[in-house]
Amino acid sequence: MTYEIYFPNHRHLLTSTLIRRERTLPDTGGRIDVNPMTRVGLNDVIAHTTAPSPYVVIDAVRFLKLRKASDLDALMEVHPGDKIEEGQTIAVRPRGKRLISPITGSLIYVGEGRIILQETAETVEVEAGLNGMVIEVEQGRGITIEAYGAVLQGMWGNNRRTVGTVRIEPDEGVENIFRDAMDIELRGAILVTKRQIKKVTLEVMEDQGFIGLIAPSMDVSLIDDAMKAPGAVLLTEGFGNMRMSASHITFLEDMRGRQGTLDAVLPAPLEPRLPEVVINVPLTGTNRPPAPNTTQPLRRGDPVRLGSGAVGRVVDLPKTPVLLDNGLRVMCVQVELVAGEKVIVPLANIDYLG
Amino acid sequence: MSISRSTSILAVDFGNVNTRSILIDLVDGVYTLVAQAQEKTTAGFPHGDVGVGFVRVLTQLSVNTGRRLISNEGRVISPEQSDRTGVDLFLATATIGRPLRTILMGLFGEISIASGKRAASGTYVDILETISLGENRTLEDQLNAITLARPDLIFITGGTEGGAEEPVLELAQMARMALRLMPKGVKPSVLYAGNSAIIPQIHELFDKLTGIFIADNVRPTPERESLESAQKSLAQAYNAFTEKRGLGFDVIAEMSAIGVVPSAQSYQTIVDYLGRSVRGGILAVDIGSAVSTMSASVKRYTATSIRTDIGLGHSANVILNAVPISAIREWLPFQATDDEITAYTLNKSLRPATIPETVRDVYFEHALLRASMRTLLRDSRPTWTPDTALDNLNTPMPYFERIIGAGAALTGTGQPMLTAMLLLDAFQPAGVIRLQADPHGLIPALGALAYIIPEAVVQVLDGRSLEDLGMAVSLSGIPRKGRAACRVRVTDERGEVTTHNIMGGTIVSIPLPLGVAANIQVSASGGVSINGKRRLKIDVIGGTAGIIIDARGRALPLERSVRGLAGQLPAWYEQATGVKHAIPDEWLSGALPETSKVEEPAAQKPRRGRRKKAEEAAVEEPILSVTGDPQAEAPPKRRGRRGQAAEAPPPPETKGEDIDDLRNLFS
Repeated sequence: MTYEIYFPNHRHLLTSTLIRRERTLPDTGGRIDVNPMTRVGLNDVIAHTTAPSPYVVIDAVRFLKLRKASDLDALMEVHPGDKIEEGQTIAVRPRGKRLISPITGSLIYVGEGRIILQETAETVEVEAGLNGMVIEVEQGRGITIEAYGAVLQGMWGNNRRTVGTVRIEPDEGVENIFRDAMDIELRGAILVTKRQIKKVTLEVMEDQGFIGLIAPSMDVSLIDDAMKAPGAVLLTEGFGNMRMSASHITFLEDMRGRQGTLDAVLPAPLEPRLPEVVINVPLTGTNRPPAPNTTQPLRRGDPVRLGSGAVGRVVDLPKTPVLLDNGLRVMCVQVELVAGEKVIVPLANIDYLG
Repeated sequence: MSISRSTSILAVDFGNVNTRSILIDLVDGVYTLVAQAQEKTTAGFPHGDVGVGFVRVLTQLSVNTGRRLISNEGRVISPEQSDRTGVDLFLATATIGRPLRTILMGLFGEISIASGKRAASGTYVDILETISLGENRTLEDQLNAITLARPDLIFITGGTEGGAEEPVLELAQMARMALRLMPKGVKPSVLYAGNSAIIPQIHELFDKLTGIFIADNVRPTPERESLESAQKSLAQAYNAFTEKRGLGFDVIAEMSAIGVVPSAQSYQTIVDYLGRSVRGGILAVDIGSAVSTMSASVKRYTATSIRTDIGLGHSANVILNAVPISAIREWLPFQATDDEITAYTLNKSLRPATIPETVRDVYFEHALLRASMRTLLRDSRPTWTPDTALDNLNTPMPYFERIIGAGAALTGTGQPMLTAMLLLDAFQPAGVIRLQADPHGLIPALGALAYIIPEAVVQVLDGRSLEDLGMAVSLSGIPRKGRAACRVRVTDERGEVTTHNIMGGTIVSIPLPLGVAANIQVSASGGVSINGKRRLKIDVIGGTAGIIIDARGRALPLERSVRGLAGQLPAWYEQATGVKHAIPDEWLSGALPETSKVEEPAAQKPRRGRRKKAEEAAVEEPILSVTGDPQAEAPPKRRGRRGQAAEAPPPPETKGEDIDDLRNLFS
């Protein structure tokens, strides 16, 4: 690795940019309902898919007391691919026993004396989640939407996506919103809190009906609660007791009252998405903002975010490893923080914000 | 491309965090590692395509060597051109991504299923379900278990050679039914490694449905196990899966001479080869971001274990399922609650490439690293022999002549002595041992290369291409703190002599430049020994950490209180790095941890007149104390045998024989 060509990690904090996002179907496949060059809104359904559902295996030879498995075909009232209702006759012996469907679903397979049914799968709608243009459709796989807006990418999400208006918590904090005093503004909102999430925060979320929560951090003991929360939860910093960085606070305060999509992706190895909030920001003039440059090597002057959450600009890229206070000797970068302080941090620990 | 005439070899290993490349070329007729480069893997956000990192790493390698390796279209230039652009051979290996999600089917849990599991332990396989004929589940439950798990592979075992066929066919038919129920495009491949008599029927059942791999029966007789063929087929299945899953691997596999080979397979190959050329055993450990691998060669039998639940980056969020918090806390010189340790692991999985910035973080990171290596060691041990000789964790560890460490957390400290100390802490070997590191991903590359040009592997390994950390001499017994534990006399190539008194309870690096030969004489003080011997005279070669003398004792006498650790661990770090850590008083107080530390018997202090017993007690410390084999534990030799090394090197084997060994391995 040479410093002239160090490619940093990317975690966007952009007030206006071109955003391209894929909306992919699960590996069970599905049907895409939009065409290329179609304009879509935040809540538009762009595809339908089904969740996997279990099979029911019936030993028909035994039930109908048949001599041979091949005798079953002649007794079938429904055939593979047919829809069936619970209680519907599937097969019947002449003047004899009836085989009744125990489920509503479809008949999948008849063979070797067995009948296999599958319960009706739950249909799942896939929403666009962005106001933009469909620029690519790959049937059976997903679509790509292009939009303009502001984007903030965080560290962790509870695997939910929601669309709502960005609101900032009251000065006294989310926890002090009284449960009996319903705040109509918060219903259906994405609420920003500068404080660590506590159990009561998630309880207030449920009581007040806000559908999204953006917070700096959360105690690890609340992960299960957050996964069951009624809306999307995004952590900007991570787990433990960490404060939200000033740049994130400023960004979110500037977005107060705007509509946005909180896509709280649960991070996973090779997940090509990060948890993020994308906010609709009206474009001014005719100039369109460019897409983030994700192919550029790190340079002096680049805006970066440190592991601690602090934000600054690169002022130097030392060419040899630097001895840290903890004894490690690693490649580092010197960053001037917003407050003017200069710090040396491992190169691997910074995120490029652009 | 004529593979047999290849002179220049390019290998790229795709890890979850880093993509590493090496260039091997003929220098004066010998295959030599000439350059290496490393870039970040680009499978995740924002690229979602390993090809971006691939182009970057090869561009960097081109810049480093002044030799163009990649075309403007992002393809490896091959074969090598007359102007020295390009290479003759390109190979790709990977540990990246999730393992093969596998359903294992067999007749009986303790026979064919057990063998299937052992075959799968050598590659990136995650066994989601095991299905056997004898179990209580209904056919409906078994079908749902298969179909709802969405596996990538169904691995069918069962039946001995010449044994019953019908039950195995029954299993295969169930697998076929499940495959027929699954939607197109997500049907798993099938690997059959059961009774060979029904292979024609297996083809009939699956040929039109999905891809099928046939391997030798993993259990040809109830008493015998044959795993090699199934392991190779599992590697092929992984390769096929890697190509199919996108992320740009299809393009890489098409350029590579052997597709994309799982890196763990390479560990098995290289450790097996190294194990054939030494008297003692070989141990290699790679603690990666998402996957960890341990390969051990003991008495020329090699076993590899892969753990997708142990990793210091992507898998850090699940590491606590495998590694108890108490084992991590043993290495922390401050109070830390369970939640704080858990938060560290979770944050590490969110930012897998992060390097510890603070003193507190470096202790968390290295505590996780040591505890992970020790867990791998404990769990892998029973597989190191074909019999049950090492199953009892109280049996002394076999002797390892060489330990090789890999993985960024271990090799990326920038302090060779610290890397050496971490390996010694985790494995606690006694006696003389050669410590090496593989920071450039050489082993994955060489393992893949061994299938094609075995002589290149032999020559590159002979060329000291792995980083030699140095020869470590570790004292057995418990040296007394504040008193000299041993005296080391170093005679360098020019005959100059230096003498070092090593104090008990310390770990010391004696400077000796890399590759420089010297002779050392170590005289142990009372109460301690060098693997049972009082004196040792041996020729050594300097490593990046010089010569390492570990006079802390065996088993490593870790303090059991946080305050004790706060005195002990920072001192060892200072000895290894020269940097003094300040542990603030407030770190030592605070709420007691939720999980109390596992109490271990106090390290036995040697009593006067009972040294031998004390030494034996130290040697017999169970489970994780890596001690010498019975030979190595022989009583001290008489004085006066000048010039004879305690660890006499094995008779050198000729290179031709080395290559034959490797060829035989792949024939």
